[in-house]
This record gives sequence, C-alpha cells and structure tokens, in this order.
Amino acid sequence: MTRSEIIEGLRDILLAADDRNTAALANCSEQSRLMADLGFSSVSMLYMVIAIEEKFGIRFDDNVGAADFATLGDVVDYIEKKLA
Amino acid sequence: MKKASNPLFSFKYLFYDFVKVTSALPGLLWFRPKWVYESPEARRKIRGGAILIANHERFFDPIYVMFAVWYRRHRFVCSKEIYNSKGGWFFRRFLCIPVDRENFALSTLRQIAGEIKAGSLISMFPEGHISLSDGKMDAFKSGMVLMALQGSAPIIPIYMKRGAHFYNRLRIAVGERVDVVARYGPRPTMSQIEEVAAQLQRKEEELKKLVESTR
Repeated sequence: MTRSEIIEGLRDILLAADDRNTAALANCSEQSRLMADLGFSSVSMLYMVIAIEEKFGIRFDDNVGAADFATLGDVVDYIEKKLA
Repeated sequence: MKKASNPLFSFKYLFYDFVKVTSALPGLLWFRPKWVYESPEARRKIRGGAILIANHERFFDPIYVMFAVWYRRHRFVCSKEIYNSKGGWFFRRFLCIPVDRENFALSTLRQIAGEIKAGSLISMFPEGHISLSDGKMDAFKSGMVLMALQGSAPIIPIYMKRGAHFYNRLRIAVGERVDVVARYGPRPTMSQIEEVAAQLQRKEEELKKLVESTR
C-alpha cells in the first residue's frame, strides 16, 4: 500500500467518524496537526485508532496514547511501519 | 475459543469481598439507603457487562455506589495519580483500573472493554474528578461512551444524595440504561458520541430532581 493510499484511507475514516469538521478533514495533509488543526481530543484520537485497526487490519501497540501522534504524517508513518 | 468470564470466587477478589461483607451490615444501618427508580424499566437488575456512572461530590462516593448496586462487584475507574499515590495500595487491592485523564491510553480502553466483555460492572464518575461547584455537575467526558461501544455494553446512570447531617439517609435514583450501539450502531460519529455524553449529563440532572423530590 502506497503512502498516498494510506492518506486517502485515513481521510475516509476521519470523514466518516467526525461530521463536525468536514472542511478541515477533506483538505487535511500530512502536516495537519491533529489537535490544533483538526480539532481532535484524546477520545476522538482513540476512536480514530480503532477505525484504523479495522480498515487496515493492523494492531496498534498497547502503550499508544493520544499524545503519541502530533500530525497526520505521524499516523501515516506508524501505519506504514505496521504494514511493512 | 473459551469465553473469558469472571468467576464467583477468586483469590484476587478476597480483599474486595472481605471489605464488602464486613462493612455491609454497619453500612446499611448507618446509611439506610433508599432507592427510587426513573421507571419500571430502571428497576431491572444489572446483569453482565455494563458501565455504571454516578455524580461525584464527595471522596466517599465509591462507597455509596457500592451500596447503590450492592449485588455486584464494581471495578472502579480511578485516576492514575490516586492509583500510584501512597494510599494507592487500597485502590490496587480494590481492583481499580487506573486511567490517565490527560492522555487516555489505548491499553486502558482495551483493558476496560475486555473487563466489560468478561461480564464486569465498570463504575466511574464521568466528570473525571470530584465536583466542587456546589451540586452543579461539570461536563461529562465522552470516554465512557467509547468504552461502552468497545465493550458493547449499556450505560446506567445513577444519582446519589446524602444530607449534611450524619443521620441523613442515602438516597439513590436509578435511571434507565442507555444502549449506544442499539441507538447509533457500532460506529457512531464523534458528534453522536458527544451527544450521548451530554444526554447522560441531562439524565443525571433529572435524576437529581427525582431524588430531591423523595423523602
């Protein structure tokens, strides 16, 4: 799976999960900050992790928390590493 | 695969059960709990995995919660600061589940969802701290809804009130259970999750009025 496919998949997940911030989510990029730009909370971050696990068939490490991902690019890096 | 379930007896429950059994009679005489129910549906006994939420105005509220649903073992969710404090041995032996309120970890969510699926009753205070604003509840955190979704369990709101005098009875209002999965399906949007948290807060306000209207 290419990096751009992962981002596209992530965008689909975010748009399905969060209907409050669709404009920002539709235009999100790897540089988008999850909390400051996309309005994530610790709960929505975990919700995203659960959806990613289901969509990409990976399992996040137990010690992952909301503070571990600053930008969308960090999430893409993590998924890439898990898919490798 | 064998389904995990909580046994009726286990050595890990020894301390919890000892405290519960030895304090039951003095506690009943002292608090003389009185239950009121939102509806006949709310009278149903809580069986299997579920999340119990309550108002939190005093340090001793967990004791009141144990009297409110006396027939179940409670797994309380507590802050990691309390859990790791000097007095934390009590919370550890009482099988509390520590949670980092600033950085809610995936491991905590998985642990709680696993406990619910194994049939545990998870008890928590959704304000996340003792409410100091004189009976007014602070905003409920939406993490409990995520836990209920992952554990496929209902959320049961209760409201507890005890007067300022030592002789006042403990009054408990029990609300109808809220099934998030039945209402929104297994994958609601974040705004629906936050709406459930807000609805539960409004429900607690209604239960407060109900408990205050009883003598």
